[in-house]
Amino acid sequence: MEKLKLFPKWLIYAIIALLWWGIFGFLGKVGSDRISPSQMQIFFTLGMVPVALVCAFRIKFRIATDKLGVGYSLLMGIIAALGSLAFFAAMKSGKASLIAPATSLYPALTVILAVVILKEKLNKVQLFGLFLALVAIVILSM
Amino acid sequence: MAHWLMLSLVAMVLWGIVGLLQKVTTNRISADAVLIWDRIGYVVILPLLVIHTHLTNLGPKDMIIGTLDGITNSLGALFLYMSLESGAKASIAVPLTALYPLLTVLLAVALLGERVSPLHWVGIILAVVAAVLMSLETPAKTEAAVELPRAA
Repeated sequence: MEKLKLFPKWLIYAIIALLWWGIFGFLGKVGSDRISPSQMQIFFTLGMVPVALVCAFRIKFRIATDKLGVGYSLLMGIIAALGSLAFFAAMKSGKASLIAPATSLYPALTVILAVVILKEKLNKVQLFGLFLALVAIVILSM
Repeated sequence: MAHWLMLSLVAMVLWGIVGLLQKVTTNRISADAVLIWDRIGYVVILPLLVIHTHLTNLGPKDMIIGTLDGITNSLGALFLYMSLESGAKASIAVPLTALYPLLTVLLAVALLGERVSPLHWVGIILAVVAAVLMSLETPAKTEAAVELPRAA
C-alpha cells in the first residue's frame, strides 16, 4: 500500500509552479515599467529557450512527429506570444494588482470556446466560475 | 474603457484561444513536446519583433529582468508538468496553480507599493476563485487533456 504523505512530491511541484508564475507576473510588471512591451517580449522569449532545452533533454530530443500536434503547438506559441505582448503593454499602463487577476481569467474564453467549437459540456461549477469571472472583471474595472 | 483593461482583455482572449489549442495538442503529443514547440512558436515571431524594436537604450538590468520573466514563466509550466508526472491529478494540480495571481498581487503591494482598495480586494479574490472553479473540469476523458495556466 502506498504510504500517505503530508506533502507528496506532486503537491510540492504544483506549489513551486504557482510560485514561479506569481513571480513571473511580478517581474512582468517590474520589467514593463522600465522598457517597452516589444523589448520586454524579446528578452522574455530569450529566457524561455534554456527551459525549453531542459525539456528537450528530458524527452531525449524525441520531440514528436504528429503533424497536427506540432502545428497546433506552434500556432499556440505564436498566439501566446501576442497575448504576452498585450500583457506587457497592459502592465506598462496599469497596476499589477489588477492586471494579474484580470488576465488570469482567460479560462473563461477557453471554457466558452470549448463549448462552441469542441462541443464540450460545462459542469455547474465551471458555469458558476464563469459567472464569478464576469463579476470580478466588472469590479476590477471600477 | 481604461487602457490597461482593454489590453488585459486582449491578452485574455488570446490566452483563452491558447487554452483551447492546448486541449487539442496535449491529446496528441507529450506535454514536454508541446512546451518545446510552443516555445519555438515564440521564437518564430522574434525576428519580426527585433526588426521593429530599438534595443540601444537598454541597460543590463533591463535585459536581466526581461530574461528572468521568460525563465520563471517557463519554469512554472515545467513544474506543473513534473507535478502531473509525479501522480498529480490534473483536476487538482491545475486549479491549485491558478492561485498564482494572488502572489503577484502580494508582491506588487509589498515591493512596488501598489495600493489596493477594499473593493478591488473583493475583485481579486473573486477573480482567483473564478479561475480555480473554471479549471475544475469533470475528470471525464483523458487526464492528459490538461489545460495549463498560461501565465502562462
